[in-house]
Amino acid sequence: MFFHSVLSPQSSVLLLIPATMPPLVAFLVTFVFTRRQPRLSAGLSIGSIAVSLVCSLVLLGLNFKMTGPVQYSVRLLASSGLDIPFGFLLDQLNLLMIVVVSSICFLVQVYSLGYMAGDPGFSRYYAFMSLFAWAMMNLTLSPTLLQLYIFWELVGLSSYLLIGFWYEKFSATQAGKKAFVMTRAGDAAFFIGFLLVFLHTGNLSIPDLNGPAVSAAFPPTVLTLSALLIFGGIVGKSAQFPLLTWLPDAMEGPTPVSALLHSATMVAAGVYLFARLFPFFSMSPAAMEVFLAIGTISMFLAATMAIVSRDIKKVWAFSTISQLGFMIMALGAGGYFAGVFHLTAHAGFKSLLFLCSGVFIHRYGTNDVYELGRLGARRMIVPTVTIILAAAALSGFWPLSGYYSKEAVMGSLASLPNPAWLAAGLVGVFLTAYYSFRLIFILVLPRAVGPPAGLPAASGGGRKTDERHPNSEIRHLSMAWPLIVLTAITVMLGFLRNPLKDFLQVGITAGGAAEGGPFEWFHVAAPGLAVAGAVLAWVEFGRRGAKQIGFVERVPPLYRLFAERWYIDHFYRLLVNVVVDKGISYLCYQNDNKVIDRSIDELGEGTIEGGRIVAFLQSGMIQYRLLVIFAVMVLLSIYFFFPVF
Amino acid sequence: MISAVVIGATAIAITRRNMVHAVVYLIVSYFGTAMLFYLFGAPLLAALEIIIYAGAIMVLFLFVVMMIKVESPEEVMFPLSQWLPAAVFGLIYLAAAVVMIVETPGMEVSLRMLTATPGQFALYVFEHHWFSIEVISILLLLALIGALCLGIGKGARCEGGRADSVSTPPEAASAAAEEEI
Amino acid sequence: MIVPFGHVLLVAGIIFALGVFCAVVRRNLIMIVLGIEIMLNAASIVFVGAALRWNNLDGQTFVLFILAVAATEVSVGLAIIVYAFRRTGSFDPSNFNLLR
Repeated sequence: MFFHSVLSPQSSVLLLIPATMPPLVAFLVTFVFTRRQPRLSAGLSIGSIAVSLVCSLVLLGLNFKMTGPVQYSVRLLASSGLDIPFGFLLDQLNLLMIVVVSSICFLVQVYSLGYMAGDPGFSRYYAFMSLFAWAMMNLTLSPTLLQLYIFWELVGLSSYLLIGFWYEKFSATQAGKKAFVMTRAGDAAFFIGFLLVFLHTGNLSIPDLNGPAVSAAFPPTVLTLSALLIFGGIVGKSAQFPLLTWLPDAMEGPTPVSALLHSATMVAAGVYLFARLFPFFSMSPAAMEVFLAIGTISMFLAATMAIVSRDIKKVWAFSTISQLGFMIMALGAGGYFAGVFHLTAHAGFKSLLFLCSGVFIHRYGTNDVYELGRLGARRMIVPTVTIILAAAALSGFWPLSGYYSKEAVMGSLASLPNPAWLAAGLVGVFLTAYYSFRLIFILVLPRAVGPPAGLPAASGGGRKTDERHPNSEIRHLSMAWPLIVLTAITVMLGFLRNPLKDFLQVGITAGGAAEGGPFEWFHVAAPGLAVAGAVLAWVEFGRRGAKQIGFVERVPPLYRLFAERWYIDHFYRLLVNVVVDKGISYLCYQNDNKVIDRSIDELGEGTIEGGRIVAFLQSGMIQYRLLVIFAVMVLLSIYFFFPVF
Repeated sequence: MISAVVIGATAIAITRRNMVHAVVYLIVSYFGTAMLFYLFGAPLLAALEIIIYAGAIMVLFLFVVMMIKVESPEEVMFPLSQWLPAAVFGLIYLAAAVVMIVETPGMEVSLRMLTATPGQFALYVFEHHWFSIEVISILLLLALIGALCLGIGKGARCEGGRADSVSTPPEAASAAAEEEI
Repeated sequence: MIVPFGHVLLVAGIIFALGVFCAVVRRNLIMIVLGIEIMLNAASIVFVGAALRWNNLDGQTFVLFILAVAATEVSVGLAIIVYAFRRTGSFDPSNFNLLR
């Protein structure tokens, strides 16, 4: 084809710049200049991300047959013995990621034209979206851990800005702060981890880390420790246990933000890092075990929380945590392709789920599923159909993309010696199908009788607009066709499985897990469980005459446990109150007052007192003069007498 | 032993609140000093000390003390803020003195007994230091004149019957001075 | 019995310290002059002792001069004190602090 004939490193480099820089330009211009012109801001932003998308696609096409990673870098930080390049790294994983990131960014920004229309912060929204796009693109292209960390932090920053976008709402600012602080805690661990790496190997570049020379440079315990610490960053960013409570609260932001950041890309940055350092992590089997465990716990906890939630966005948020747990399980078990493929597929259908929910929320102004159902959500055709398809993909129904990705994950879990992991995975599949179809049925087949009393109601959609939107047809169109595009991707992606697998597996030599034979027992069990979950949901929620009470709700203690998110939030609140406020702040405050201030005061007072004493001698009394004469005489005699001085 | 007497008398003298008592104790101390001089082989000096120091100077003090009628001991004795620095320095001085005395070689030499008779002493003085004698006499003259000026200058402005009591101290001073010569 | 020279110096030193103490601590002008007298006395003891130590009559000569000078300054000093007393009515040296 035409592209292949132009294949050369120079053209890749030339394409990298327009692939990554336009969103930055858009951010700066929008933030500074075009605040008052919403259409211009939106146009700039969408235009820049479109450019990025096109360049990413071209890059993917150009380098589809590449054999090894390519790096273009410029030396930025250089001192004696320390050499950290800045630039771009291109390999298969990167290319896939930038296509995913830019395409979803583009679709979400188009969607936002409709969703955020009329909002006073329209330009600010697009500015932050561009900032996020730029940071995420560069994060995926970083060649060194340091550059990755810089962009990691930038992504966290834009997440904070976007979650707290409607800053007049107190809960939104609180949520933004919570998100930032929790991811920051993870980032601190990440920083220490890569400092450890740096101390031992002297450089941070990722290709070197993945190479075979690294294991020689580390003692094994330090390797495990640094792997665990870097994973701490992943725990924070991807909302795994124990730092998982920020993601449900992050739903305070606008729905497109949730679609972009908190389902498809930002939280996927953690999984991306895992995949990026996959050979490095594989060198430490103990660490991989820990990762596996954490992934499993997160998946399970989040799935239970999703079962009892009433807020449509929170259900998908918990689902995101759960699916990320799946990805980490897969990667921890050694299934590189499984994890990455699930990441890609999940990006597709999860953002689709959020966007559909966004349409409902935008139209009816409430987040509560029961309300939405009763208000007649199913009358909107396009969102309803797409949400059903997306939920099916999430549950893993054939032939949608979710089926293939779940298969891959199960396969990698089955290759582990301990069957408990596979069992946990299967339970997860069941729960996933259950909660997604529960939501679908409540939404689509509402009952006149409301939910049982005792369930806490979900808060409103977070918007203050009550009026009817003018030009609603255009708006709905702009919101509609991203949904269609995403649905198409979701359906089609499954068939791209094998080419993708070959593409990705080229560079990865370590940790290859077999995916089992073509027809193992779990190939039947997994979709069977998915169907079983859906059937259970149908029995409880969908059937004519069903009372829409889930089996969990019949067991109040269990229900309360799940609804209170396993009391993790309470634990954190307690921790902050007791340890931080009463302990550390108290100590610091006392130290500040008593030690630091006091010593300065004493210095001053001492000086005054000393002056007072000395001034005594100048009072004019001749006797003091005499005394001074005498004293001086004595001192002089001592001085002259003793040859020591 | 005599030195103990001297030291004791001096110590008591400085702590008397009543000035007359202090002067009397000091006279005792001078007697002791005279004895010391005698023991050190300077009999002329011993006699001179008693006559001049104890006899004239202290008497002069007594005259002045009794003339100035100090009605009540209004003196504030030994305020601590004054006393403490002086004591501190005194102790430092003594410590330094002791160290110096112990360290200096030749301090253990016992003094040989040797007496300078007055004739020998006078011969020596006038032979070697005659110029200083002249200077001292001029000094005494000046002191006399000064004391007179101070006294008379003051007395001339005093009225009435206080003239004679005022002029007594300059007279006593001039009397003491003339004894020297 | 004749004592070692060190003892002589020590005695004189003690007397001198007492004289300084008297001059500095007593709040009475006359006592200040008295203290000076004590100091001069101590100095003359040292001189006589030194004369005996080194067999030199200069020590004793100097004591003669000390005697004369002491008399001089006592007379003048007392005249000044009387004058000051007439002016201010008290003997406390803390009142004479115009030179502060």
